[in-house]
Amino acid sequence: MLYFVARRMVSALSVVLVTLIATFALFFVAPTDPAGAICGERNCTQQRYNEIKANLHLDRPKVQQFAEYTAGIFTGRDFTTSGVTQHCAAPCLGFSFKNDRPVTEMLKSRLPVTVSLVAGYAVLVLTIGVFVGSMAAKRRGTLGDRGLMTSTLVVSSVPYYIVALMVALYLTILYPILPRGEWHPPSENIGKWFAGLLTPWLVLGIYSCTSYARYSRGSMVETLSEDYIRTARAKGLSDRVVTYKHALRSGLIPVITIFGLDVATSLGGAIFTEKIFGLPGLGVLVLDSLNSYDLPVIMGTVLVASVILVAMNFLVDISYSLIDPRVRLT
Amino acid sequence: MSIGSPGSTVGVEDHPASAEPVRTAATPHGKSPSRIAFDRLRKDKVAVTCASIVVFFILIAVFAPLLAKLEGQNYSTFHTDLVDEFGYPTISFSPDHWFGVEPKTGRDSFARWVYGARPSLIIAFLATLFGTVVGVVMGLLAGFLGGWVDRVISWLVDFVLSLPYLLFAIALVPIVESMRGGSFNLTPQEQAQIRFYVLIFVLSFFGWAGLARIIRGEVLSLREREFVLAAKAIGVPTRQVLFKELLPNLVAPIVISASLSLPAYVTAEAGLSFLGVGLVEPIPSWGQTIAVATNWFKADPLYLWLPVIGITVLVLSLALLGDAIRDAFDPKTRR
Repeated sequence: MLYFVARRMVSALSVVLVTLIATFALFFVAPTDPAGAICGERNCTQQRYNEIKANLHLDRPKVQQFAEYTAGIFTGRDFTTSGVTQHCAAPCLGFSFKNDRPVTEMLKSRLPVTVSLVAGYAVLVLTIGVFVGSMAAKRRGTLGDRGLMTSTLVVSSVPYYIVALMVALYLTILYPILPRGEWHPPSENIGKWFAGLLTPWLVLGIYSCTSYARYSRGSMVETLSEDYIRTARAKGLSDRVVTYKHALRSGLIPVITIFGLDVATSLGGAIFTEKIFGLPGLGVLVLDSLNSYDLPVIMGTVLVASVILVAMNFLVDISYSLIDPRVRLT
Repeated sequence: MSIGSPGSTVGVEDHPASAEPVRTAATPHGKSPSRIAFDRLRKDKVAVTCASIVVFFILIAVFAPLLAKLEGQNYSTFHTDLVDEFGYPTISFSPDHWFGVEPKTGRDSFARWVYGARPSLIIAFLATLFGTVVGVVMGLLAGFLGGWVDRVISWLVDFVLSLPYLLFAIALVPIVESMRGGSFNLTPQEQAQIRFYVLIFVLSFFGWAGLARIIRGEVLSLREREFVLAAKAIGVPTRQVLFKELLPNLVAPIVISASLSLPAYVTAEAGLSFLGVGLVEPIPSWGQTIAVATNWFKADPLYLWLPVIGITVLVLSLALLGDAIRDAFDPKTRR
């Protein structure tokens, strides 16, 4: 077990390291001009350009720049802009000169939005999605099951952003049946926080429930046809105990795997929801930075999202072997 | 076993089980798995309907200039006389402009709609093509050669699959643009061209890994089978073993993966264009039109609904067709 964990850890770390190198190479080594991008195209004097270049250490060798960037992640570093020195604390992912703030700070201020969004989404898919899926699996082949599966297929085939956009435009603006998407910190007013996120949660959750219902149905159908389920029934256990205690436990394992990766992806990829409902999360931060060519911010976000994804991959792998003793540790 | 014409030579009669088995309509045996799947597909009403809708869109895309000419309009001509001082179009459906004109610029909506089908389909098909070819070759190599080749390719697959694809797609746009001299120094035409290629690159770059993993798994089990061992034993070169022996046995996963990635790529292209990181003016695209049209959705719902319907119907029918193709190749999935 320990060997397995260690091996997975090494492979996860190698991916993180290569991602770090790759993003750095993309942003700073490729024939791009970060200083020019930061300086702006219109009122950029040669003096200001050189100053930015020196402050960003862009005039140093690339390897040294990379070492400084990497060291900054662990120990923090200092940046000087127009005479003022700013400290960028420990997990320093660079400095946004457009906003005059460390990237880490900007990410931190946006993170609660995305985390709230994903948390509500997780609750919805794990309850409704799995419940609907196991219901359908129990009634396999009936009219209800087939209708349900067809409708989930159709719904999950429509692009997500179309569904979200139509709900946002027609159900919250034109006919205000649902509350509009807004962001209020939960520490300020928990009711407002809930109301502002209700519609995004519902849209994101219900849309994704369709694929979760399909996964859990498939997995439950397989489990319900296992011998031990027949044995459990033969023992005279009630239907509820058989379904929810015996079958659901092992039927949920593949669903949990997908769920882990899905949550990790959503943390970096809830862009459509955030953009359409006007929530100032990580995705919107990236889009805004794109418009102002704020490369350090984009790079920091990409890096954080990659690390979250790799870490989740690792956790899922480990927990998979813990939950399911049938998985061979090789 | 009888061989075709009565005049066939004795030599062939002597070796009834020789190379080419006889395939006539009367004999139910000897259908290839793809043939069986295709027959199943033809009986599937949903699949046939979806396929016709997809063909309809492809025809629209191919004959977009012709359709626009038929209407007598051009997708880039401004008709400022057809919008009032607030930018609202003064006409709706009319014989001159079949679907009316855009707000503000007054460009013809029908022409823009038919031309909008083009980038979606071209990008999706090219990305699928590249992704499939790279994925198949990588999967074949990894599975068949094993050893360090397998380890390197498997690591690459894991690496690509663990990248946040949407964020990378967004991040690549400014990088490629600044490599070409920054968005300020590019003409709109150049910028649109760059975005077009970036989209194809990004989609195929993130698309090959999943297929490579599937192919690798299949090859791992296939390469121990007798026909491959036999081919290797009689000294068939590796390249021929890969492409003549193994590849025909991989048709099902390849077709399934390609048919499922098409709708995904159409969705991704339009989605990125909607976010403003995909296609830009002057290339007409549905995703970008939706982004603009949300500002006008109360005053001019038609402007919004045209691209929405285009994308939804196209993606829906591609996805349902892909699903039907998967079921046809692998009936186990429908239980």
